[in-house]
Amino acid sequence: MNIEVLIGAGVLAATLRLATPIALAALGGVVTERSGVTNIALEGCMLMGAFFAIFAADKTGSLPVAILVGLIAGVALAGLHALASITFRADQIVSGMALNILALGLTSYLDYELYGTTGTPASLPGVPTVDLGFLSAIPVLGGAFGHQSSILWVTFLLVIVLELFLFRTVPGLRLRAVGEHPRAAETVGIDVRRTRYWAVLASGALAALGGVYLSMAVAGSFTDGMTNGKGFIGLAAMIFGRWKPVGALIASLIFGYGDALSVSLQGVSIADVRIPVQLLSTIPYVLTILAVAGFVGRSRAPAADGLPYESEGH
Amino acid sequence: MPVISVLVALFIGAIFVLISGHNPIRAYAALILGAFGSPYDISETLVIAVPLTLAGLSVAVAFRTGLFNIGAQGQLLVGALAAGWTGSQFPDLPGIVLLPLTLISGVLGGAGYGAIAGWLKATRGVNEVITTIMQNYIVVFVMHWLLQDGPMTAPNAAGTPASSPIGAGAILPVIIPNELVPLSRLHAGIVLAVLAVILFWFLLWRTSLGYELRAVGLGALAAAQAGIDPKRRMVLVMAIAGGFAGLAGMIQVSGLFHRVFDGFSAGFGFDAIAVALLGKNSPIGITLAAILFAAFARGGTLMQANAGISSHLVEVIEALVLFVIAAETIVRAIAGRRGPAQALA
Repeated sequence: MNIEVLIGAGVLAATLRLATPIALAALGGVVTERSGVTNIALEGCMLMGAFFAIFAADKTGSLPVAILVGLIAGVALAGLHALASITFRADQIVSGMALNILALGLTSYLDYELYGTTGTPASLPGVPTVDLGFLSAIPVLGGAFGHQSSILWVTFLLVIVLELFLFRTVPGLRLRAVGEHPRAAETVGIDVRRTRYWAVLASGALAALGGVYLSMAVAGSFTDGMTNGKGFIGLAAMIFGRWKPVGALIASLIFGYGDALSVSLQGVSIADVRIPVQLLSTIPYVLTILAVAGFVGRSRAPAADGLPYESEGH
Repeated sequence: MPVISVLVALFIGAIFVLISGHNPIRAYAALILGAFGSPYDISETLVIAVPLTLAGLSVAVAFRTGLFNIGAQGQLLVGALAAGWTGSQFPDLPGIVLLPLTLISGVLGGAGYGAIAGWLKATRGVNEVITTIMQNYIVVFVMHWLLQDGPMTAPNAAGTPASSPIGAGAILPVIIPNELVPLSRLHAGIVLAVLAVILFWFLLWRTSLGYELRAVGLGALAAAQAGIDPKRRMVLVMAIAGGFAGLAGMIQVSGLFHRVFDGFSAGFGFDAIAVALLGKNSPIGITLAAILFAAFARGGTLMQANAGISSHLVEVIEALVLFVIAAETIVRAIAGRRGPAQALA
């Protein structure tokens, strides 16, 4: 077996590519769950972002507009989730499931109505890559980081910003307080509902950016259900990363590496036994269960996560 | 209430069709005709309703105990794999032996997979929603491996990765004579589904175990006070839930496809959540809701073929039904029956 298939520049570059949408969904998950709202509709938000960015790119030909429309679509879906789960205290899992189905149905429906069986148009504006020519002298790293989408770098930036926001600023502290003990937070004058609304909407935008990345930066087109569970892996990464931005990024990179390996190890044998590459893809999910169960570290959700809150002064 | 949520969803769906430049009446007419327009269409709708009902029972039995089984999809697949393995491994056994063996494999496969989520919840406090979501994905990849180049892969298979066909003895026969409804695929699985619905009712409302399960669902603390151990019930109820879903998978193998293939029965486990919620977790309600969603699925395909409207419209409608149920308090508030504040209690 060649070492290249394990740690070559190709595998590492693929790891970064595959980790980007997972990390964005995971960041969305961190923000919303830290505020106490479970949002399993991140998958749907991603899909909305993926479709509507392509749609807007097709209609306007403008990349900024496409990204903006994609983000708005994800925020809109998240807004429905916020309305159901915060204002109307609906079951957050049911609402999230419903919105995932809605996003899948809506985007597939519009895809069929607008583009029929021919698919979305080719030659849409792409997301620029960041070429780091000076890195090319460095082996492996140059290949891994040298030609990545600008969205990857935005993701790295978002990880730092969110880590600082959540753990080093007053609004971040308030957001976490709302997720841990909403009653106490309200007692000291924090508006629980408003904080949660903002957090859920932000999670929609972050997940949608992951969707925009998939359609605009990787595929250059939209296909039905193209997020294919990335939003759910994002939730897994959030849990495995212990509800922290940096942790979520690391988890996403681990999961992305597993995905990259399942491609690069295809057809590779050890002592004449073919590696069951498909089983590598189960690693994120198995690790997540083990982490939540406390077999691998201990991953604990915010105390009020998923619980509707009713104000005392209602 | 369930009727209202369906009507609201159909209404919003109609607006949707209108905006996209089609006639909603034509769309819904094509939908209904596709689902119930001929004896053949009805039998096809029922073919879909069978696994949906069983998966709906799976979600509902967990709901009744206060657990959320998002894993019916994964449990169904494990049941299908187990049934497919047994059915194809011993193809020469007579039906009287092989069919029960296949059935037991499917049910136990699903039950075992479901029990994992219950066990993790009971012993480690892991939210079953997280476990079952993860389990759904795990089984999909294990299935890829088993069927693409693993121990279950059919030798010399071309096209979709699949297992070897099950033996003749493992097959649930078609129960409608060809002379009556030509080409009908409606199989004896429908009898099993009806029996399962009765079993669900009997278990929950006619046994002390069912009483305990429902007591846990209504309030785990109060149930514990009454001497019922909620934790032990969690493992059991998730196993029962998985068993129903596993039976659905077994029926898809034995009644319909006679083998397991990659991409098998995608989505039934998720539709089952809508079925259980719309059916209010009651035996009759689940059956009716399953037939309704089966009609959507069957009718949607023909609506696309005959009226040129994307079959994905039915997903939109289904999602709206679910969303309206989820936000039931919205409807209640609008209807003025009681405000959201009281509805919480």
